[in-house]
Amino acid sequence: MRFRCERDVLVDGLSTAGRAVSSRGGAQPVLAGIRMILQGDRLELTGSDLELTISVELTVAGDTDGEIVIPSRLALDIVKALEPGAVTIDTEGEEARITGGRSQFSLHLIPAEEYPPLVAPTGESLTIGAAEFAEGLRQVVPAASTDDSRPILTGVLLAREGTGLRLVSTDSYRLAVRDLPGTSVLAEGQKVLVPSRALTEVARALQSASELTLLLGERDASFLIDGVRLSTRLIEGEFPNYRGLIPQSQPNRLTVGRTALIDALRRVKLMAREATPVRLTMSADGLELVAITQDVGQAHEQLDAQYEGTDLTVAFNPDYLMNGLDVTPGDEVSIETVDTLKPALLRSLETTDFLYLLMPVRVS
Amino acid sequence: MRLVIARCSVDYEGRLSAHLPSAVRLLMVKADGCVAIHADGGAYKPLNWMNAPNRLAEHDDRWIVTNSKGETLTIVIEELIAETAHEMGVDPGLRKDGVEAHLQELLAADPTTIADGLILVRREYPTDIGPVDLLCRDAQGRAVAVEVKRRGEIDGVEQLTRYLERMDRDPKLRGVRGIFVAQVIKPQAKVLAASREIDCVEVDYDELRGIESNELRLF
Repeated sequence: MRFRCERDVLVDGLSTAGRAVSSRGGAQPVLAGIRMILQGDRLELTGSDLELTISVELTVAGDTDGEIVIPSRLALDIVKALEPGAVTIDTEGEEARITGGRSQFSLHLIPAEEYPPLVAPTGESLTIGAAEFAEGLRQVVPAASTDDSRPILTGVLLAREGTGLRLVSTDSYRLAVRDLPGTSVLAEGQKVLVPSRALTEVARALQSASELTLLLGERDASFLIDGVRLSTRLIEGEFPNYRGLIPQSQPNRLTVGRTALIDALRRVKLMAREATPVRLTMSADGLELVAITQDVGQAHEQLDAQYEGTDLTVAFNPDYLMNGLDVTPGDEVSIETVDTLKPALLRSLETTDFLYLLMPVRVS
Repeated sequence: MRLVIARCSVDYEGRLSAHLPSAVRLLMVKADGCVAIHADGGAYKPLNWMNAPNRLAEHDDRWIVTNSKGETLTIVIEELIAETAHEMGVDPGLRKDGVEAHLQELLAADPTTIADGLILVRREYPTDIGPVDLLCRDAQGRAVAVEVKRRGEIDGVEQLTRYLERMDRDPKLRGVRGIFVAQVIKPQAKVLAASREIDCVEVDYDELRGIESNELRLF
């Protein structure tokens, strides 16, 4: 194999494909590498840990076709460190020579024949706008669990809702629901559970894209975005019945400026150390935020807010509350509660397309 | 463990051909038959190796190691510099971290959290290749070997498979079945376990400890 390519183009390709590369190679050391396939001027870079596969297509100045597997981290570090300009990669036997400027590196390759066959994407292809989908992912993906002991919760549910698409995630402490009314990608009653890790990468790839093409197979999903293909296994199993968790009416309702609450929470949370919660005291006088950490100190802050209901103090994990406020759109938000132990509903006053349900923390 | 320091060249023939030119190297022949060729550098990875089971044929000037797939490792010994052999006994294996040891303790206290009707016979049941975490009997009186890990990966399934093979030779335990227990088990490990008729059970460490968190859950 031999080709020439601009350094920055190759760095982008290697780092994108490298995000799916298994950090330790696991049972298959070859998966610690990136597979490069050169055909003419088309170079395909693929990284995979068998759960998530990312392939990037680049246009290069191809000389000799070939297929190699190159150590991912090291190749990226080398190419990134080269002088700006053209980089040449050519292989001889079990080594790749990487040349840029006056630098030359020789790198041992991983046998390409050991690279596992990857399943080609299947399913009907549908193209949707990138901006709204990316916004939806930004809102729901952080609420998915990162705890592998409950794999169902590490996914984001994509379900048909009316004629649109609904994205749902929960880690059992909070629930995020986003409706995309104009986005029709699923059949009536169809729902799939996509690993949140894959959707994090999809959101990253969508930053500069205008649209994405989605292919849904029976057991896998693929996202095609500007020359990048992300394929992921779907999570099998039944997502919790989240609809029953969303309260229809809450007797207590606080309305507050979103930015003011974020700023106040950021300050008060400095005293919410060692996993202590932040208490929100809601009354007709407004809102008070309090954080007390034993043997460290405490923080108080008053905020102007409108409140309808009985006086109440509810405590929340400050990070989870901050996550919800960060992704709720609009200038004003409402926090609807029942009591100190029931879930609180965080919503925008401007749209009903997004809601964030958050469990309180029990305090004495 | 047999250790030989020799000036040698090595040729591997199999899925591909590989040649190590003449140099001084450490040849390691482990009790289980694994043969590894090391240079005087690098942390752990041999320059070339052949896993057991294999056949080592020693000739005057060369060793030929052949495995069941017909792959060969030919070590041409030009100069024997040193040779030693030691009986190292059974390796106790990696020491378990705190969570793993505690998990084993909690499961031993109540094996029914693994499967209904399970009764503990003993912890750290010794086999001639190392101790299996829990030996139990199920409701039908069948022996059950339980291997406990914090994270269930393919290595753990392999380890339990080896124990089961050894235990099945004991008439008192014959027909022993295996259960692989971990907080989370990788899909690949589940597939391997299923192909070997080993059950997989995922357990919640916090639940076993009976912790009631102040962080309330939606469900």
